[in-house]
Amino acid sequence: MRILIIEDDALVADGMRRGLSQSGFAVDHVASAELAEAALTQENFDLLLVDLGLPGADGFDLVRRLRRGGNSAPVLIVTARDALADRVSALDLGADDYLVKPFALPELAARCRALIRRSKSSSNSDLTIGPLRLDIARRETRVHARTVDLTRREWAILECLALHAGQVVAKDRLQQAISSWEDGITTNAVEVYISRLRGKLGDDVGIRTVRGLGYRLDESAA
Amino acid sequence: MSAALNAAAGSMTIRRRLLLILLAPLTLLLSLGIALDYAAGTAPIDAAFDQALANEALAIAAQLHPQTDGSIEFNLPAQAIEVLRADKDDAVYYLVLGPDGTFLGGDHGLPVVDDGKANPAFRTAQFGGHTIRAATYRVAAGAPGKVAVTVAETTRKRAHARRRMLTGIILSDIVQLAGILALVWLGVRMGLRPLLSLRAQIDKRSAQDLAPLDETGVPGEVQPLTHALNRLFATVRATSQGQLQFLANAAHQLRTPLAGLQTQMELLIQDPAAAQLRAPLKGMLDGSRRLGHTANQLLALARAEPTAAAAADFAEFDLRDLAEEVVAKQFDLALQRHIDLGVEASSARVNGSAWLLREVLANLVDNALTYTPADGRVTVRCGKTIAEPVQAFIEVEDDGPGIAPEQRARVVERFYRAPGTSGDGCGLGLAIVAEIARAHRAVLSIGSGAHDVGARVRVTFPAALE
Repeated sequence: MRILIIEDDALVADGMRRGLSQSGFAVDHVASAELAEAALTQENFDLLLVDLGLPGADGFDLVRRLRRGGNSAPVLIVTARDALADRVSALDLGADDYLVKPFALPELAARCRALIRRSKSSSNSDLTIGPLRLDIARRETRVHARTVDLTRREWAILECLALHAGQVVAKDRLQQAISSWEDGITTNAVEVYISRLRGKLGDDVGIRTVRGLGYRLDESAA
Repeated sequence: MSAALNAAAGSMTIRRRLLLILLAPLTLLLSLGIALDYAAGTAPIDAAFDQALANEALAIAAQLHPQTDGSIEFNLPAQAIEVLRADKDDAVYYLVLGPDGTFLGGDHGLPVVDDGKANPAFRTAQFGGHTIRAATYRVAAGAPGKVAVTVAETTRKRAHARRRMLTGIILSDIVQLAGILALVWLGVRMGLRPLLSLRAQIDKRSAQDLAPLDETGVPGEVQPLTHALNRLFATVRATSQGQLQFLANAAHQLRTPLAGLQTQMELLIQDPAAAQLRAPLKGMLDGSRRLGHTANQLLALARAEPTAAAAADFAEFDLRDLAEEVVAKQFDLALQRHIDLGVEASSARVNGSAWLLREVLANLVDNALTYTPADGRVTVRCGKTIAEPVQAFIEVEDDGPGIAPEQRARVVERFYRAPGTSGDGCGLGLAIVAEIARAHRAVLSIGSGAHDVGARVRVTFPAALE
């Protein structure tokens, strides 16, 4: 997985580069939007980490030009700005997520993995979330090396959670994922399937309950 | 009157003032007009009646026949008398006196008009218990001296004519008066319309609206005022935007080096070569994170202050979306602390700054997660109050130690931390919440949670939007 960091602060860039390398990514770094565009014409990257406040053209300009030029690589904005207007316009321009400095390295790595996973999920039929592996094409589920048999509805819920791993998925949305087979599925049914999934997948797979909101599948159950 | 007007002008609208100034004198003027019309109208009527009276006197005088011996013979036929006295309204009298005052004929005692100049001469007098109008005509009838022929009648016809005339004048003047009053009323209303529309424009604005007032149709007299207001709005907007720009720059300058420091320290902590330094490095990382937190809080507080909040983007949105977003975002911290973080949200639309209100909720949840012990429960709620008036609210309830009643007023002070407080808060969280609530004209209330356990902090908005 190749990541391009576009960041003009040397200390931050170095920390990000080394931290993400340790997490198993191949990382390149440039210090300006112009250099980033040059690098992107040469090579393909799975994810771009973009600082908004760059010398010359800023992060907004870069994302706007990339999207206009047809580049669809996921973009994670990493910035010291957190005003709502910045957040909205960056996401409107086509950025995929937003992380405010200062951040913790594990969170940065988790966001990177989630964004790459989401962008690959349409092309790649394999999803890995911590110890959990899903083969979308074959509808196969494994925890560590163990194969787990799931019913169609259990699979539909797990697939929905896995495609949005690290994000809270509303109960209504899970209900919609399983209601195509049968009318009148209640949100209570979702609870039942979640509890069955937890039983089948074991304690290493982290399906969290967010009371009043929904569920979240995490990379780690700790 | 003008002193009284000035004294009352403090609370008096221009419309009332104009109407008062115009209507009172107008009414007086029109009443005077009625009196003048009446006086002017009655004079010709009186003259006409008097002329008729004089004609009768003249007709009687024609019946005087001077004799050769100097005496005068006056002989009015009974038929002529009847014609003379025939009047369906008034009683008619006459008296003919010779040059030496000898009675020649008619009604004894009828007053004779003698003003020495006019001929015929007229006078109003009393006769037989009635008011009469008398005309005396003096004619030379051959003999020396003059014969005085007096004809008089009661005034019923005249009174009747005057009454009819007066009624006519009053009626027509009242119609005029009503017309003028209506015109004044309408004119004042229409004249003040641009002012009223300006007032409506100002009334409609939210306190945060700094857009210039629309000056089209604003009368010249008020334009200096609207110009001044628009200049003030522009100044406040510029100051506020400058303040926001400054804060954005400050945030950038503070957070970027902190991000560099923290990532480098994190990497060092993991580095086997620096194993011996792990403990002090962790301490430094903690300190740096607290510094980052305090910097964030100070920036949030500065942004919530009126000078900066004036430029905040106020818009209509649903508190429910905000509650769900903040809970999803803080869920990791709750997991770390083994706290059950949940949301009980129903739709409640408000007009506010989503950015600032996100800070409110993030701070309240952060406080609850900090002070609630492991295995506790923190719930974010939002919705509309059941009781009238229907108000939107957000609140965070926990089952931690709570905030003692005597501390509740003080915890919103900046940097104040309640005695015995653990955790590494900087004491700005509730001050930020209070400041942002104020910017939204919302009320911050601090109480106990369910069954008197824990804390419940609620922000109640002035109104819920439909």
